[in-house]
Amino acid sequence: MVTILHGVALLGYLAAGVLQTVSFAGERAEVPRGGVLLIGGAALVQLGALVAFGARFGELPLVGLGPSLSTLAFLIALFLLFATIASDARPVGLVLLPVIVALLAAALLIGVRPSGEPLAFSGAWFSFHVVLAFVGVAGFAFAFAAGLLYLLQFRELKSKRFGRIFRFFPALNTLDRLGRSSAVVGFCALTAGLALGWAWTIRFRGTFAMGDPQVIWGALTWVVFAGVLGARIGGAGSNRRAALVSVWGFALVVLAYVVLRLAQAGGAAFL
Amino acid sequence: MGVHVVGLSHHTTPLPIRERVTLDGPELHEALHALHGAGAAEVVIFSTCNRTEIYARDDADDAAAGAAHAFLRARGGLSEEDAGRFVYTRSDDAAARHLFRVVSGIDSLVLGEPQIQGQVRSAYESAASQNGRERTAGPILSRLFETALSVGGRVRAETRLGAGAASVPSAAVALARKIFGSLQGRSTVIVGAGEMGELTLQCLLDEGVSGVVVANRTAQRAENLVARLGGEAATFERLPELLRTASIVACATAAPHHVISADMVARAFREGRKEPMLLLDIALPRDVEPGAGSIDGVFLYDVDDLQQVVDSTLAQRRGEIDRADAIIGHGVSEFMTWYRGRSVVPVIQALRGHAEQLRQAELERALRSAHLDPQTAAAVDVLTKQLLNKILHAPTTRLREAAKDGREGEVAEAARYLFGLDEMGGQD
Repeated sequence: MVTILHGVALLGYLAAGVLQTVSFAGERAEVPRGGVLLIGGAALVQLGALVAFGARFGELPLVGLGPSLSTLAFLIALFLLFATIASDARPVGLVLLPVIVALLAAALLIGVRPSGEPLAFSGAWFSFHVVLAFVGVAGFAFAFAAGLLYLLQFRELKSKRFGRIFRFFPALNTLDRLGRSSAVVGFCALTAGLALGWAWTIRFRGTFAMGDPQVIWGALTWVVFAGVLGARIGGAGSNRRAALVSVWGFALVVLAYVVLRLAQAGGAAFL
Repeated sequence: MGVHVVGLSHHTTPLPIRERVTLDGPELHEALHALHGAGAAEVVIFSTCNRTEIYARDDADDAAAGAAHAFLRARGGLSEEDAGRFVYTRSDDAAARHLFRVVSGIDSLVLGEPQIQGQVRSAYESAASQNGRERTAGPILSRLFETALSVGGRVRAETRLGAGAASVPSAAVALARKIFGSLQGRSTVIVGAGEMGELTLQCLLDEGVSGVVVANRTAQRAENLVARLGGEAATFERLPELLRTASIVACATAAPHHVISADMVARAFREGRKEPMLLLDIALPRDVEPGAGSIDGVFLYDVDDLQQVVDSTLAQRRGEIDRADAIIGHGVSEFMTWYRGRSVVPVIQALRGHAEQLRQAELERALRSAHLDPQTAAAVDVLTKQLLNKILHAPTTRLREAAKDGREGEVAEAARYLFGLDEMGGQD
């Protein structure tokens, strides 16, 4: 059931992504409303899949690569869904839906099942720590997507090209607002998540455990995130600077994850 | 006999002649009633600066089309040769298709213009309302115009024929929206109080901009514009200060040199401006030094750039014409099916009336001679009615089918001949 529901959700996100791409390629001015319904429906099915996971295995889908990727994909989809309902941000899905589909497809390939790895840090505080960190990463992914669209739209407007990007993408101001809001929400959540993790480590292990790849990655993500918000301070070019830092910062965080993940083979608890 | 459109438009006729023919207010009502009394069973006149068209229906011959043609020729003071060149006439399905294309904006000067539907509705309502006199739009033109408005609505909803900015001022608004999103509350400066500045300001005000300042070399013209549209008047001396705060600056002066220099814009940012600035230079020669566009946070567009937005919109709209025509074709077919079906109704009524008369006469004679009791007489009445209905079912159905196939004329003629309807005094 868990796998089937994940498969259905994957198809839903895929269909929404295809609809967005077709709308964009067809030089439409916006994504049809059906695209939002598809994302909402797919997110609902995925929620069902995650609940089914909890019921079947008796734990939250937060440990092990498959369940973690699925939860992260779900949180990114929630960000996207909320933004598309609350503003004219549907085209952000052009960037985020492929990310969601890739995460979910990877989760299905790996298998959405518990890692079986015994954890020292577990229980409610562990769940808070992981969920908050995931919300942080999802917020960063959203800021990345909004930033990328901002830079593309900015380039179109500056170079006076009035093609499909000009027609389809939201206004610069909207993209900037989305990037700022998601960065603020994500940064607060990540800070709280990391603080919980460190508090536990200090309390029960009496150390910062700075050599742990997860901790290195968490700290790097936090620093980059702080850089995204810091880039907003300043004069007229601060919006574009923030978009640039969001895009390159997110790319750096993903690259760092892949490198650290490869360096720590078998670490199932690490996202 | 049929529905006709007789008219002239921007496609065929120069503006001075179109201006002479245009009808409005009391003149329009007079013309409606004049044509109604001159052979047209129904009339609707649609008249704008781009076209004047008379939609008319006649009963027996082409009297309505002829009267409409003569009316336009006389009103425009046209020679026979000019009338032949400028005035077009279309009938039945071609007339319906023409109207549907007009309502959809396909025939407009600006492809897909949104105002046309309201103008057509207003023309139809003028003819359909009584205003103390006989209405000139009857059942057929009413159906034609209602179908046209419905088809126009479908074209607007199902295609992108009306999407995007199709004029320079609307392109300015589209660019502003792409930078700022909503324009509600955005401060705006219009430099120059000429016609283009006014049109652009009007478009921006429709989008909700506020804090409008009109800056002009002479304060009087700025004050005149402000008196009409609202805002604050200023002279060019205040421009450096205004550039520090305004989100949108639209320049449309007749000055032979730059009114806003790149340095003036750069200074505004050096002095603490943080928000992006949209500079719309819709003047020829240009008012803004081109170098201002390279400043980070400044989006500078001149009239060629705005025209590029308009051209791109129109190219996209042209790509929608086939889809719109498919919807229009469906509407024409629906209307013509109804219209032709209506044309056989009098024949069917005559046929049934004639047969009923015969039945009644024969029934009375039979009842008088046979002295039947009431129960038997009632049974005979029912029997003859049923018999008659069964006999007339096939011809009625064939007539309706012929109308759908467009053969209503010949089949109705045959029915009249076979059943001797004309000999009965033309009961239709």
